[in-house]
Amino acid sequence: MNNLDLLLLLAGLVLSLMVFSYLLGDTLLFGIAMYTLVGATAGFTVLVLVQKVIMPMVITPLTTFPKSSVWLELATLLAALLPIFMIFKKSSRVAGISLGFLGGVVTAALIVGVSRGTLVPQLLSIVDAFDPSRMTTAGLPNWSGIFEAFMMLAGVLAVLFAFHHRKTKQKQDSLAPSWLDGLTGFGQIFIGITFGAIFVGLFSTGLVALIAYVQYLVDFVRLW
Amino acid sequence: MLAAFFFQPYTAPYLGLVLNWAIIVSSVALLVAIASLVVIHIRFIVKGRKGFLYSIVLVVAFLVTLGLGWYSGLDDPAYLAGIRAILVPLENALMALVALVLMSAAVKIFRVRGWSILTVSFGLSALVFLFLNLGFLRFEGNPGMSQVVSMIQRLPIVGARGLLIGVALGALLMALRVLFGQEVERE
Repeated sequence: MNNLDLLLLLAGLVLSLMVFSYLLGDTLLFGIAMYTLVGATAGFTVLVLVQKVIMPMVITPLTTFPKSSVWLELATLLAALLPIFMIFKKSSRVAGISLGFLGGVVTAALIVGVSRGTLVPQLLSIVDAFDPSRMTTAGLPNWSGIFEAFMMLAGVLAVLFAFHHRKTKQKQDSLAPSWLDGLTGFGQIFIGITFGAIFVGLFSTGLVALIAYVQYLVDFVRLW
Repeated sequence: MLAAFFFQPYTAPYLGLVLNWAIIVSSVALLVAIASLVVIHIRFIVKGRKGFLYSIVLVVAFLVTLGLGWYSGLDDPAYLAGIRAILVPLENALMALVALVLMSAAVKIFRVRGWSILTVSFGLSALVFLFLNLGFLRFEGNPGMSQVVSMIQRLPIVGARGLLIGVALGALLMALRVLFGQEVERE
């Protein structure tokens, strides 16, 4: 290990110790570590965007004019230049043209992505649970499969209803029938179970990172 | 764009071009946002605003990262090793901190929201999944119990599916409102 590697290792160690100073409160050291992270990430992002997106997609095609369409390259250049007007005036109408275009593309991608990527597969998986081949095994009813299918349908409906009911109850502040409250409670059980499982997943990941960090400290001490 | 997405075999070249433009515009918008962040912090330093020390740290970290990268090239192994040596320990330490913060947040949820169906099911589920994830429970010789455990492990899928469908419906509705200009009117 050369001196530069050792120096970098030490810098990483010091910075991560600064992050852990958060356990003593929002200290100056924690702030310095966070601003270092933001600054370094911003610098690296600028570099990646310029060298991997702007240069190859905007600047380089301009140098090959005879081979490419002049209007197409100029339109690309214009699309790249318009958002720069936001630096001078945040609500610039000129910059708004390309941001409007971006908003349209993002909205279209969102509609297609959400409907094809989330909504349809999730709804289909609920329908698939009622597939007759899953509900029977060797001609006999598969009770666990049937139970799971109905549980899935009831759970999903109850979760959706829990959100809707909570919203309308907040809005109207009315006394709802008790069966509606019961259905909401049923939905809340599933929401709680899901959040609990997500919490455990995140907690385990954090714990693994903590153990890896302690190991990193031990390795560093051993190195000396 | 919507039409281009749905009639993809015929509109693929057009779609590619428009998506390339979207990538360029979003990249430039991100660059503008970063430029504005740095300019704001330089202004804080010049005015000597409270906490300007943090602004100095941010600007120095930004300039050093950008300058070194520009000089040595983005693919330079030494530069990448340097970036990794700074960013990875910071991110790992933050991730480790998440475990501790989550623990205190889990305790706080009972204090803030009290004992309700949601909090109790959350707490029980967290305990059960923590216990199951430890891997101490093995029912290889008992197919009935292992089926029950696997059913319990699939329970969060029900809630997650409901949440996903809810979020997807909400996002779809919001996108359609934006598309038809209703969101702008409401603002």
